[in-house]
Amino acid sequence: MGYLWLKAFHVGSFSVLIGGMSVSSVFIAMHVTSSRPLAAGESRMIEIVRAWDWKVTTPAMLLAWALGMTMAVQGGWFSSRWLMVKLVLVFGLSALHGVQSGVLRRMARSANRSPPAFLRYSASAILMAIVAIAVLAVVKPF
Amino acid sequence: MPPTETTARTDERNQLRRMRLVSLLEGATLVALLFVAVPLKHIAGHPAATSIIGPIHGMAFLLYVWMLIQTVSGADWSRAEIARAVIVAFIPFGAFANERFLKRKELALAGSVSPERKWDTSG
Repeated sequence: MGYLWLKAFHVGSFSVLIGGMSVSSVFIAMHVTSSRPLAAGESRMIEIVRAWDWKVTTPAMLLAWALGMTMAVQGGWFSSRWLMVKLVLVFGLSALHGVQSGVLRRMARSANRSPPAFLRYSASAILMAIVAIAVLAVVKPF
Repeated sequence: MPPTETTARTDERNQLRRMRLVSLLEGATLVALLFVAVPLKHIAGHPAATSIIGPIHGMAFLLYVWMLIQTVSGADWSRAEIARAVIVAFIPFGAFANERFLKRKELALAGSVSPERKWDTSG
């Protein structure tokens, strides 16, 4: 597959990942400080967000990893510092996605348990990471 | 409507089943890398073997770590259990011990085996 096609699908899958993570972030942040049990409609909402996370966001993450790794190997970029910094941010985002996904599962199971408080900042963290990743990937400053 | 106790247990067991599969995948690719690809490269002079299996194992390792984060974030694992699950990923054939551990956790959810026996290696 040509570089431009790889790049296009990598950016596309990464965008889907960020979109899905943002939805989960906002949904989880809504429940971080809430101590009341979830209403019936909210339980249904958890299932919808979980289904999206499992069927769309997670496959998009795997595709983004695979395509990104292929491009890095083809481009011989593994010795570049910008890629190392980008990888740290990507692994951080992936770990955050794993935490979100697990927390959604826990919320679906025991609806009266609040998510960890630090997740209220996850949307901001995602936004900062995506801007930094875009700069590193496009400008390749070092 | 909130999930029933049975639905929640089934959901968690499915999660552990997926975790077991990913653990075996990670373990199998590590064994293939160390005991097939590396000897092929250094003894038989075929470096292509590591350049193929290496990235495959890299992806499998990332997937394993991600699944572990996802699994422990949604359940109540002790720190010792998490540490063991991380360490076995670096040990050849460690995945097979991990598989038994995860199987015991899965059975414990079904209420048939005490989770305290999770590291029993008698099979």
